[in-house]
Amino acid sequence: MIRLFNWFRRGSLERGLDRELQYHFHRRVADLIAAGIPEPEGRRRVAAELSLTQVREEVRDVWLTRWFRDFIYDLRFSARSFLHSPGFTAATLLSLALGIGATTAIYSLVDQVILHALPIHEPARLVLVDWNGDQVGGGFGSWNLMSYPFCRDLQHQTRFFDGVLCRAEIDVNLATGGNPKPVAAEIVSGSYFSVLGIGPALGRVIEESDDAAPGAGPVVVLSNDFWRAEFGGAADIIGRKLLINQHPMTIVGVAAAAFHGVDVGAVPAFWIPASMYAEAIPGAEDLLHRPTFWMQVLARLRPDLTPAQAQAGLQPWFKAWLQDNMVRPGFPIISADRRRDYLASTLEITSAPQGHSPLRRSLSQPLWLLFAATGVLLGLACLNVAGLFLARGSARGREIGTRLALGASRGRIGRQLLADSLLLAVAGGVLGAAVAPLAIRGLIAFLPHELAANALRGTLSLRLLTFAFFASVAAGLLSGVTPALHAGGDSMVSSLRERAGTGFGGVRLRKCIVTLQVAFSLILVIAAALFVRTLAGLLAKGPGFETSGMLSFAIAPVQSGYTRADAARLVRRVHEEVRALPTTRNSAAARWAFLTGGSWNNAMTIQTGRRIVTGNVNLNAVTPGFFSTLGIRILAGRDFDAHDSRPPGEAGHRSAIVNEAFVKRHLAGRDPLGIPIGVGSGPNVKPDIVIVGVCASFNYRGLRDDSEQVLFPMFEGEDAGATFYIKVRGAPEQAIPSIRRIVRQAAPRLPILWFRTLNDQVKRSLTTERLLAALSGSFGALALLLSLIGLYGVMSFVVTRRTREIGIRLALGATGASVIRLVLGDAVIMIAVGTAIALPCVAALGKFVQSQLFGVTATDPATIAAAALVLAAGALVAAFIPAWRASNVSPTEALRLE
Amino acid sequence: MPSSRFPIPQGTLDMLILQILSLEPAHGYGIAGRLEQISRSVVRVNEGSLYPALHRLQQKGWLRAEWKQSETGREAKFYSLTPAGRRQLAVEKDSWARLSDAVNLIFEEGSR
Repeated sequence: MIRLFNWFRRGSLERGLDRELQYHFHRRVADLIAAGIPEPEGRRRVAAELSLTQVREEVRDVWLTRWFRDFIYDLRFSARSFLHSPGFTAATLLSLALGIGATTAIYSLVDQVILHALPIHEPARLVLVDWNGDQVGGGFGSWNLMSYPFCRDLQHQTRFFDGVLCRAEIDVNLATGGNPKPVAAEIVSGSYFSVLGIGPALGRVIEESDDAAPGAGPVVVLSNDFWRAEFGGAADIIGRKLLINQHPMTIVGVAAAAFHGVDVGAVPAFWIPASMYAEAIPGAEDLLHRPTFWMQVLARLRPDLTPAQAQAGLQPWFKAWLQDNMVRPGFPIISADRRRDYLASTLEITSAPQGHSPLRRSLSQPLWLLFAATGVLLGLACLNVAGLFLARGSARGREIGTRLALGASRGRIGRQLLADSLLLAVAGGVLGAAVAPLAIRGLIAFLPHELAANALRGTLSLRLLTFAFFASVAAGLLSGVTPALHAGGDSMVSSLRERAGTGFGGVRLRKCIVTLQVAFSLILVIAAALFVRTLAGLLAKGPGFETSGMLSFAIAPVQSGYTRADAARLVRRVHEEVRALPTTRNSAAARWAFLTGGSWNNAMTIQTGRRIVTGNVNLNAVTPGFFSTLGIRILAGRDFDAHDSRPPGEAGHRSAIVNEAFVKRHLAGRDPLGIPIGVGSGPNVKPDIVIVGVCASFNYRGLRDDSEQVLFPMFEGEDAGATFYIKVRGAPEQAIPSIRRIVRQAAPRLPILWFRTLNDQVKRSLTTERLLAALSGSFGALALLLSLIGLYGVMSFVVTRRTREIGIRLALGATGASVIRLVLGDAVIMIAVGTAIALPCVAALGKFVQSQLFGVTATDPATIAAAALVLAAGALVAAFIPAWRASNVSPTEALRLE
Repeated sequence: MPSSRFPIPQGTLDMLILQILSLEPAHGYGIAGRLEQISRSVVRVNEGSLYPALHRLQQKGWLRAEWKQSETGREAKFYSLTPAGRRQLAVEKDSWARLSDAVNLIFEEGSR
């Protein structure tokens, strides 16, 4: 350390040493004069015994160890020599910057979405508690769902946990000042903040007393970001009231900065205690006492326990709990089989330092894939740089030979070359890190807008810089080590003997590198082709309904304080007025939106000769005219009509239309029309809904979904909200203002949740596929480019080296074509060997990507053949240019060259 | 007969410098002169190893240096022992004594 410091003050050290040695010199001369020796003679003698240069050198070695000083000189020498060859420097810098920048950008997302621990107290002790088996009860939400009573009961298990929390993400309607708008919130148990160890930045956080009894805590805690964005960070925010779903709630605090909830993908604006479920989730039944599954349970493990120990220790308690739970009010009546399944359930405790995140579930595999791809790309860039270094090494052969002859050790020369590549890689890393934020923002732009805006950051963090630094050093070592070893291995004499312009070999090594490059890039090109085909296949298939010229929007009146009856009247009014608009060609509504990833689902009971209970079936309710508006064919029976709706106030469905997949799966070989079905699976379900029609299958949750569906008629008095689907005359955007006017007149304070064209909705549902296709496509293209450059470089080099030989061949009567064949033969071997290396790798890696593909297998022969063909064609073109040059060599000139 | 003045064996120069400086602070030229003088001109210090040694000992924290007026009136760099240097000197003296005892023993044993 002190030595590093010495480097920076070496100026003053040198001056001090000079003065010290000067003093010595003068004293010695003075002593000699005193002894009777004349001054000039004395000076000469002292200069001879005191060799100043050598003393200085040796003292410098004390200041800075030798290797360190050499290393710094090496770096300086490298920097100078790079400035002398700007073309070479630019090419290598660019390769490395691209590789490091891309890797860093993807790593940023990997880190933010997958790896980054929550900014809470001791995140390593946080665990997710999940149910393994049949939960029996109903619920809503996405993953790892548990009931509130379960969370309460688990809090008594202090042998295993220092605290247990439950939470759910919800959307509420927030009115501050004039415009109401939907915002994301988190509804949490009273233990939430204390278990996580998050304190307030202002006021207080939610406490146990807020969650003591239903309605006990009409309070909210704002997130720091929301407080700043919405209220400008007002200091007097405490005590103000917010209108949430038309219920006033008091702001009691602002959470600590940097805390954004426990779900990376869903950043809440504020937190509401679970005791306020009735206000926060309109229309919910008693969520605090019934076994409804709607929250995630996270717990803080005791310090001395592992998740596995807690999991094993909790099972006896859970067995007893399952029995108790069966007598809870609202527990469904179930068959003996189901009860057996239910009682066989177990608890699963998994470490969750990063919290709970559905986003992680959907994105982690694509992100790891892309990260692996950038790793390969970086490797390719390193190989390219290594190839360029070897080329330069051969051009510098004479310089290196001379240095060896003057006594430099081979290790010393190798170190010089390594310093070259390290300097270059670190410079490339700096460049890469500089472009990484741009790349990260570009990446985030692929993700849905809400997510991009809140959850993910496009800035560089220290972690990211550290990563980029290590990536650069690794790249530097990787690209420098081969040329460095190579420089140590060549014979000094032979390199000195060779004439300038030819240089020594390294050709075999470079050919190996290019072969590897071909293999790597073929893997990436095949991956790109697979993902592009997946996206194209999904787009070509479409969702099974009309999307062009279609507009959709959604309202949720019950969330804004409407009763169900009022909400149903409002939806009907808006529906009719929208249908009467001149810009509307056709219009329909559905209770739940399509292609958003979620669905309303339940098991169904079918009454044919016997009762059949199905697995989960996707359900929805639609207005008459839905099928014709969206262009979905009715295959049998009829569409709904006005008679299918019940008068307001009367509950339950009368008729249903099922899709083709449902008929194929459950009613194969029967006439489905007239068969009665019921919603749910218990023995008390009455099958009194009659199938009146069969429609063609279309996608509900997403484009890959081919589920069974049952559709009910809408306007039966159960609708909390609706999504409208409108076939518009002209451009969809032009219809938006008049629709807004209709909604505003019918319900002045009701927000419109979104306006979207269906084309846009399809695009949104393909986020991951587009991300994979676009990125793997560009990585593939880059990889191809890098390896073609590598191939071109080595072939040109070979041709230059063989100019004399080719000249002789031509002089002896060889034709141009035969020379081209001769040179291309080399390239063909490299391409063939590269392909032979790549194909088994593709076969082995296929299983990792298969789940991301659609309509194509990972080892699809046509795709692989096409990718290999593209690569081979590109490679042959790259090799053909030098080959053609070789065939045009004039024999006389080639011979004169020597 | 070889020269009566011979260079200081490797490794002992550090110890000798510490010993000289334990008497009083001195500059490089002074240390060299003192070594020759005390050893009755048997020991000859090469400047090429004296100055690196001084800087090495200073870097190890055994010596400290300051610029002071010397006996000729010019500024010179004076070295003096730090407490750590004093401890080091004791350690080296001790190990030197044991080594030379051992060497003597071996010589006596061999010549008997």
